[in-house]
Amino acid sequence: MFHNLLNAIDQKLHFQRASAHCDIPCGIYDPIVAQIAALTVVRMVDLIKDLEAKGGSDAAFQNSLARYIAVKEEHAEKVKHEIRVIWGDFIKPQHVEKHPETTEVVQKVLQLGSKARQTADRESAVQLVEAVNQFAQIFWDAKGIPTKRAKAPYAPTLELVYPVL
Amino acid sequence: MCKILRIRGDSLSPKLQDGDFVLSSKIPILLKRLQPGDLVVFNQPGYGVLIKELETISPDGQSLVVRGLHPDSVDSRTFGTVSRRSLQGKIVYSIHQ
Repeated sequence: MFHNLLNAIDQKLHFQRASAHCDIPCGIYDPIVAQIAALTVVRMVDLIKDLEAKGGSDAAFQNSLARYIAVKEEHAEKVKHEIRVIWGDFIKPQHVEKHPETTEVVQKVLQLGSKARQTADRESAVQLVEAVNQFAQIFWDAKGIPTKRAKAPYAPTLELVYPVL
Repeated sequence: MCKILRIRGDSLSPKLQDGDFVLSSKIPILLKRLQPGDLVVFNQPGYGVLIKELETISPDGQSLVVRGLHPDSVDSRTFGTVSRRSLQGKIVYSIHQ
């Protein structure tokens, strides 16, 4: 009741705000977006290779190739963006102290993300998935949540690191 | 000497939730007797008026380490210690939703 009264007064007088905020209001961070994006990069490389194997140069071929490349570009950049955000906003010095390899893993993700855009090299794309998995492992450990590795239930069926909730 | 503030954010949850009201006092004797665990209001350049829990006080009493209760809280881990001069009050009463 007292809160309701203050609430009503606040509507008129606007009490000063004291922020008890976190870095983002919701505090939602999850590397799964980057993991799925990395998996998408591998999938697009596979589709590009399939298309190449089938051959052709007609409009349908050009259209499919352009779409696969565009999606690969977009998702490789998404991987880099997502990891940069978690690294910059969530990872704290104590996490790096516990996992000194964090900076190296992030650097690897960013470099492999760029390589995924520059080339259609499957091996590099698979390495990107693994680098993002390593980052996910560090992230969930920082949250105190155990992880497991399981094959993604869709193509390409590569292993991903999942939290055990 | 006392003022009512409204909490914005959840870094002090479950002690304080977004939308709660608090009564902040800057009566000198209260500010002199700060102890770890007290909730303090201060002005942090670049962040504005913040409310956090006091973790430790330096031996000379001039630098305060503050923290939130949420792992993603922006606190002394982000901006370092808080000068005693920045203190605007100590929370003496809270009104929850």
